[in-house]
Amino acid sequence: MTVRRSADGRIVLEGACPIEDAEPLLQLLLAETECVVDWSRCDLAHAAIVQILLASGARMIGPPSGAFLRDHVDPALARERA
Amino acid sequence: MNEFLEQFLLESRELVEQATGDLLGLEENPQDNDRLDSAFRAFHTLKGAAGIVDFAAMGRALHAAEDVLSRLRNGQAPVSAKLVSDSLTCLDQVVQWLDAMQETGEVPTDAEAAADAIVARFADLGKAPATPSPPAASTIWADALIEKYPEPAAAARVAIRYRPDAECFFRGDDPLALMAALPGLLVLDLASGEVWPTLDALDPFACQLVLAALSTASMEAVAAHFGGRGDEIEIKPLAGVPAELTGALSVEARRLLEAQLLLLKEPTVEGAAGRMAAAGRVAANVLRHAGRPADALRIEQVAASLDALSKAIAAVLGGAAIAEAAVSEAGAAVSTQQDATARILRVDVARIDTLVKLTGELTVAKNALGYAAALAQDGADPKALASTLKDQQALFERLINELQQSVLGIRVLPLRHVFQRFPRLVRDMAAALGKSVRLVTEGDATEADKAVVESLFEPLLHLVRNALDHGVETEQDRVKAGKPPIATIHLRGARSGEHVLIEVEDDGRGVDLARVRRVAAERGVVSAEALAAMGDAEVAELIFAPGFSTASEVTNLSGRGVGMDAVRTAVGRLGGRVTLENRPALGARMRLTLPFTLMMTRLMTVEAGGQMFGIPMEAVMETVKVAHDRIVPVGAARAFVLRNRTIPLIDLAEALGEPRPVPPKVEAKVVVVSIGAELGGLEVDRLGERIDVMLKPMDGLLSGMPGIAGTTLLGDGRVLIVLDLRELLQ
Repeated sequence: MTVRRSADGRIVLEGACPIEDAEPLLQLLLAETECVVDWSRCDLAHAAIVQILLASGARMIGPPSGAFLRDHVDPALARERA
Repeated sequence: MNEFLEQFLLESRELVEQATGDLLGLEENPQDNDRLDSAFRAFHTLKGAAGIVDFAAMGRALHAAEDVLSRLRNGQAPVSAKLVSDSLTCLDQVVQWLDAMQETGEVPTDAEAAADAIVARFADLGKAPATPSPPAASTIWADALIEKYPEPAAAARVAIRYRPDAECFFRGDDPLALMAALPGLLVLDLASGEVWPTLDALDPFACQLVLAALSTASMEAVAAHFGGRGDEIEIKPLAGVPAELTGALSVEARRLLEAQLLLLKEPTVEGAAGRMAAAGRVAANVLRHAGRPADALRIEQVAASLDALSKAIAAVLGGAAIAEAAVSEAGAAVSTQQDATARILRVDVARIDTLVKLTGELTVAKNALGYAAALAQDGADPKALASTLKDQQALFERLINELQQSVLGIRVLPLRHVFQRFPRLVRDMAAALGKSVRLVTEGDATEADKAVVESLFEPLLHLVRNALDHGVETEQDRVKAGKPPIATIHLRGARSGEHVLIEVEDDGRGVDLARVRRVAAERGVVSAEALAAMGDAEVAELIFAPGFSTASEVTNLSGRGVGMDAVRTAVGRLGGRVTLENRPALGARMRLTLPFTLMMTRLMTVEAGGQMFGIPMEAVMETVKVAHDRIVPVGAARAFVLRNRTIPLIDLAEALGEPRPVPPKVEAKVVVVSIGAELGGLEVDRLGERIDVMLKPMDGLLSGMPGIAGTTLLGDGRVLIVLDLRELLQ
């Protein structure tokens, strides 16, 4: 599983997150009100994943390890939420 | 310019003309497969030609157009007005490139962006022929993007907006992965198509992302990357990045620009054009290097005008962007310059052969003259010698006549050269005015002197514009008046003796005489009494009067501050005249009568105030002797009566400012001349002979002299001044 809840309650995205992770991610985010998403070990993410992150407004721990996510998606995410 | 390139330019222009004609024909009759084939072949050949001179950008643009035409040929897409327009735009671009090449002698290096724009046009068409291309308003997003990311925007060549289909996840698409693989990605912008819903209402499998990006890749590369997503993707080339957003100039760049400015300020004796071109090129390269491609482009646009170029470089140094006004100003100067330069003439080989043969015969005649000279030296009988010389003079006369005819023959061009520009212009003008007009050209094979044909475009354009703007009614008005909804404008050419006739006829509402009367009175073109005495035909002629313009409001077509008097002046300068035949409510016909050739003029020589003058024979009606007591003063002027007609009399010497003692003669020698419909008398001292001359137009300092049409050399070496009667008698 590339999306899971860690022991300390954070939602962790790891490796390459495919579209199949979208549904579980959404469920995890809906389960709690104040979510923290750690994607510092995320290499790739499907657009559906990023869309959910954008809509959720969850606090992100990063930057992600994937170059494209780090250089382009993370800043875009930060800007869109600002 | 090398011969190779010259040939390329020549052929390409012909192909563009052919393709333009075919496209317009196709638009009129979309089923015309011959036209389609011919247009396709023209595009194909043009593309090939571009390949030969290594002009990849032009090849690319033409290839895109050719692709679409090929789809039409296979019946995969219908012929649409949009498609024809886009193809014509492509040809316009090609002509711009050709013009640039003509000037610089090199393949333009900045053609890529323009080629990208053309390719993009056809990319839209090819993918989704049924849906119209995105409206112009859609570029707002790109401007917003540039504003949001000024730094990357300075380096970017294209802006992209990608609105994936909501169902795209089900098709297995990952829009983000597509963006990640985009060549030259500078910055990515993520947003929602709508407001984000609350998480519990979010459908994780419906894509509502809007992805925008700036890239350094070419338009074509980006379009290829997003291939097959016609509706979802918008790509905009960023040629016109605002100057204030672009890089500042480095010290080196400033130094280089200053050096160019100094170079331009030096007094130039020779090689000014080359120096200007070099300075322009360096300045443009400096700016491009500094990341200011828009300014570089503008510098290149003004590089043909010394003044504009200096100002532009100074402006850049002053930290400002180059004003657009300066560019358009210089552009106007350049275009007139281009009009003035003679184009290459294609000549039938047979005509050249005739010249070669004549040269041979003239050499023989010259040798015979040498023989006669030797005879004279040996003290031959003067009578026999005179007869030999007479024979030789006759021979020379015949040969020179032939030579003149042949040379004139080379200068002859069919009217097609000017007529063929009109279908396109009429189409565009009619569209701009919202009128339906059909242009019918007849007699475009009629030949006339090159100088006449080439000077005809402006006056004809004005006449056609006027017909379209003022003559032709709107479709509704036409139907109301019981006319066919589509108006027809005829453009005819015909040869009549030593003249060429050209007619512009429309079936519109004709000249509104009541309004002409009113406007003429308002603007004081003629006095109220004169106006009241005028017949309808004379009133209609008033539209040619200086200071008259029937346009009550200035439209962007006709109302350019020049009225029909400009047409009359231009045609008059060519030695022709304009007449108007007005049929109220049925239309108007403008007829230009022009000399077949400008070069040969038959003159009558006269002497006045001790100086010889030439009067064009075509204006001379007769010569009469008038007793001085029959000349009556009329106010400050004089007149005499000839066959019950009062004719104003001008003393030629006086009119030309020669001092003149009061003539003690009993009779005045008078040349009666006609200017348009009016007669005038010129009093001269002596009447001379009739001669044929090659008239040389005045240039340099003398070109502004009023009343003088040109000069020619007489047999004894004296200069003969040829009078311009129209100016003289006004």
